[in-house]
Amino acid sequence: MAMVTLDDISLRQHTLHTLPRLAVLRQEALRRKPEICIERARHITRYLRFHDDPDDCPEVRRAKMIRYFLERKRARFHDNNLIAGSTTGKPLGAPLFPEFFALYLWPELEVVSRRKKNPQHLSARDADELNFEIFPFWMENNVIEVTRRRYGNPRCLQLFEKLVFFIASKAGCISHCVPWYRTMLEQGLTGIMEEAAARERLAAGRSAARQADFYRAVQIALQGIVSHARSLAYEADRLAGTSGDPGMREEYGIMADICRRVPAGPAATFREAVNAIWLCQVGIHAENINMAMSPGRLDQVLYPWYRRDIDEGRLDVARAIELVGCLWLKIADNVTMVPETSEEMFGGAGTVPAITLGGVDADGNDAVNDLTYIMLRVTELLRIRDPNVNARYDYAKNTKSYCRRVARVILNTRAVPAFYNDHANITALLGQGEKPEHARDYAIVGCVELASSGRDYPASSSIMLNLAAPMQMALFRGRRPITGEEQIGPRTPDPAGLGSFEEFWQVFLVQLDWLIDQAVQLNEYMGTVHQEMLPSPLLSALFEGPMDRGRDLIRGGALYNSSGATHIGFADVVDSLNAIEQAVFVDGRYSFAELLAGVRSDFAGPTGEAMRLYLRRTPRFGTEHPLARRNARNLVQHLFTRYQSFTNYRGGPYRPSYWTMTNHAGLGAVSGALPSGRRAGRVFASGITPVSGAAPALTACLNTVAELGGEQVPGGWALNIKYTPEADRTVMAARFADTIEAYFRAGGHQVQFNIMTYEDLMDARDHPEKYPDLLVRVSGYSAYFNDLNERMQEELITRTQYDLTGGHAVPLPPEAGGA
Amino acid sequence: MNRALIGSICRYSLHDGPGIRTTVFFKGCPLRCPWCHNPELVQAEPEMIFRSGICIDCGQCGPVCPEGAVRAGGEERIDRRHCTACGRCAVACPAGALEMVGRAYDLDSLEEVLLRDRLYYETSGGGITLSGGEPTLQMGFAGRLLARLKRRGLHTAMETCGFFSWDTFAFACLGNLDLVLYDLKLADPVRHRQVTGRDNGIILANLARLLSVDPARVLVRIPLIPGYTATEDNITGLAALLRTMGVHRYSLLPYHPGGLVKGEHVGRPGDATLPATAMPTTERERWQRYFGSMEFVPP
Repeated sequence: MAMVTLDDISLRQHTLHTLPRLAVLRQEALRRKPEICIERARHITRYLRFHDDPDDCPEVRRAKMIRYFLERKRARFHDNNLIAGSTTGKPLGAPLFPEFFALYLWPELEVVSRRKKNPQHLSARDADELNFEIFPFWMENNVIEVTRRRYGNPRCLQLFEKLVFFIASKAGCISHCVPWYRTMLEQGLTGIMEEAAARERLAAGRSAARQADFYRAVQIALQGIVSHARSLAYEADRLAGTSGDPGMREEYGIMADICRRVPAGPAATFREAVNAIWLCQVGIHAENINMAMSPGRLDQVLYPWYRRDIDEGRLDVARAIELVGCLWLKIADNVTMVPETSEEMFGGAGTVPAITLGGVDADGNDAVNDLTYIMLRVTELLRIRDPNVNARYDYAKNTKSYCRRVARVILNTRAVPAFYNDHANITALLGQGEKPEHARDYAIVGCVELASSGRDYPASSSIMLNLAAPMQMALFRGRRPITGEEQIGPRTPDPAGLGSFEEFWQVFLVQLDWLIDQAVQLNEYMGTVHQEMLPSPLLSALFEGPMDRGRDLIRGGALYNSSGATHIGFADVVDSLNAIEQAVFVDGRYSFAELLAGVRSDFAGPTGEAMRLYLRRTPRFGTEHPLARRNARNLVQHLFTRYQSFTNYRGGPYRPSYWTMTNHAGLGAVSGALPSGRRAGRVFASGITPVSGAAPALTACLNTVAELGGEQVPGGWALNIKYTPEADRTVMAARFADTIEAYFRAGGHQVQFNIMTYEDLMDARDHPEKYPDLLVRVSGYSAYFNDLNERMQEELITRTQYDLTGGHAVPLPPEAGGA
Repeated sequence: MNRALIGSICRYSLHDGPGIRTTVFFKGCPLRCPWCHNPELVQAEPEMIFRSGICIDCGQCGPVCPEGAVRAGGEERIDRRHCTACGRCAVACPAGALEMVGRAYDLDSLEEVLLRDRLYYETSGGGITLSGGEPTLQMGFAGRLLARLKRRGLHTAMETCGFFSWDTFAFACLGNLDLVLYDLKLADPVRHRQVTGRDNGIILANLARLLSVDPARVLVRIPLIPGYTATEDNITGLAALLRTMGVHRYSLLPYHPGGLVKGEHVGRPGDATLPATAMPTTERERWQRYFGSMEFVPP
């Protein structure tokens, strides 16, 4: 049967006028201010203080803790959404995970509600409870302190705490993955629990105690979700009797029935399936931090239920859009608690739960179906920050009309979805040894990372490494201006004495490899701590692998285990390599000593400015100059080889990637001048994007980025492109789609857009009141422009804007403040 | 002639034929139209461009000039009488204010550049356009280039003023061209000679021959220049001419002042009577009416 049966794939007759519930829910969601929710922190702290049994194995301790919380988590219905359940106790909640970095909030308890940028409301009572009851318990028991104690405050941890070399995300999360929901929908959690019980008996019979314990933990944790669904059913029943809105009385009645049936039992209808997935997402957030817990390929997972309901007349397209819209709004019901100290690095981010649409199925056939188009339409209508919606495209298998439809949604929302090339991404996963049918079933995790749905536990945000750090350490013999006289890396030779670019490249690699070693070391330490502190039996139950192996995800239970390392400052560092090679060793225009003096002085005075201008005209990444292409390729290749040589605590390799969230702005702000001619304090380029203004020709830019793609980028990348909007969107969409397809055929992994001008964004900066919900693509996720800090706003403004009627960069207006 | 003097190569070009294209601008032109859109491509030799707006007055250009042809300061940096376009000042200039226009390419290196965007031609139905200046002034090279591109299965087009030897063109180029963008300016032969320096007799004869070979491969384009081509008499005359010749597709290119600034950069300021603003679409549409039912192809 044909999977696309819609008469009009753009579904233009369905709008927010014909879907008033979504219009209202959207308005409410946009107006909500985040509130810190301490419910989870309260219950898990109480559990650990008063009920924990240290004789249980780590998996069981954790499972009991989660069940304890879920049994006590209050059932709440905040609005007229048709899906039951919410992540936190607040309409827009920032939950606290004291295992990780929640304690950074401690000194800010008084001010977090009142701070200027992105305040998060905290009641005085909750602040007291955190201050006196919750935080004291975690002072010595959070991941960082346990790691510090266990490993004697290691060098790598101290380096991380300087925050300008690398970020070890394990201090913040065990997250960033894509579960597989089809089994849950078909068998219900009860089915999974029965299987776990049977396997527990078999394991006990074999005296495999640890496995038996794991299976027991799975059952305990899943009971937590079932129990919470029951609370929601009671509450919905109560509201069905008391709600003043007759329409909602009926809906509460339906929700009560649904929560009694799923996710404990198999889903019978589309609505039950949607709600069951959401309740499992709520459960996942009870266990682990709300960062990039990605629902995955929902158009594929939910399709059988959709098709059956449509064919049997229980559902029409309008209702399906409404239900999907309700799910999207539910997914956006939480934000990450961001302490002031992290605002610079992560400000304005959502929780980046990624949904992936389209592409091919496990057999390599066109997987686009009616639900793909329904989900695209919902994304187009809602224009909200989360979920992070991503569209896959296989230019050989998917239709051109699908490609153009995605292009049109991007032009209409001016930002989403992000676009992914199946060929490059499947090639990358095959290179990691994944089976073809698994690689083809990849979904996006968080920002841009790749994972086979429910088979791959990629911990894709394990390391975020600042590439400008080893560049500066190579220039200054293992030191950085920002950390002063302290010897950080190995004491390498003074570059002024080097005789060739090759020698400098080797010096750079010494510093780079040293820093990677530090970051990997800390990740391994923290991973080992996680294995004892933070098993994830609930999440494990929704993956392929742990049930067969009797082993938790955190202990390597998944089919594929890896750790992700992303890189900040890629383009700035490649340009610095290029500038050094050209200026010192090809042109001989400056000696290395003169260049170093220029960098040290931040290109001061008229001679400094002449040097800086000259440096900015040396070969740049994003142009087809052979020297620039070689240096970019060599760096990607080196990082790939280096990371793949490590085996992580779960038995898998490290996968390099290139996405930067907002770190490129924050780290740029604290980094000194670079040989590329970048002044001190200026933002770095984002993701794998060339430096602003460095790549004036669009196709040259796309070609040189694309040629880096394939097996050596197993973690994915974010390429940010900004286009001038055009009056005729239909004409633009066709050309836009053709251009993306050419970039994909050339090997590009991913591309995401902002369809706006320098002037649009400057106006939004100067008149925030005019743009209350301006959605922009940052570097792998979406944000509201007004939530971003000044530096990040500047980065978005100064990103190269290309005119798609001429394929060239529009000159940056001087008042934009770029240099 | 194994090398050609190329003024510039423009990628992602949408207005020189179907789809996304790369346009090669040959240097040198037999006409001297006062409105020339690419005045830096008129001379058949390399020359220097100076953009005073981005000059930082660092003074690094003067001392490197072997002819003493670079003056310090001022809008007009280059003494054109002595400049040999050796390009040393452009290498020295850190700001990129000095630039050499005109670079010799051999077939291999030009073909390599033109193939870089091959995927864009494939996804959009685009290809390569030879333009200028006037590509037929370097006919031998242009023909060999077209043959190579055709062998690779690429769509090819040429933008020409029509002032060329038919026999050479038919022998060297015609067989490997999918589209000829044929520019007509003035209907009246005397006026044509007065304004562009050349008679339009050869131009019209070549058009007639081209149409007799394959009218579907020809698109006549008329630049609308206030005071020159965009006059009642001329447009009426051209429309009548096209009808007589059996042309059924045409395009109008509205005036744009971009050429004026570029003229200053090469020390040949353009016609001072030309307006500083672009022609609005409404005016182009008004001229369209003179062509009746002939098919209009948007520029």
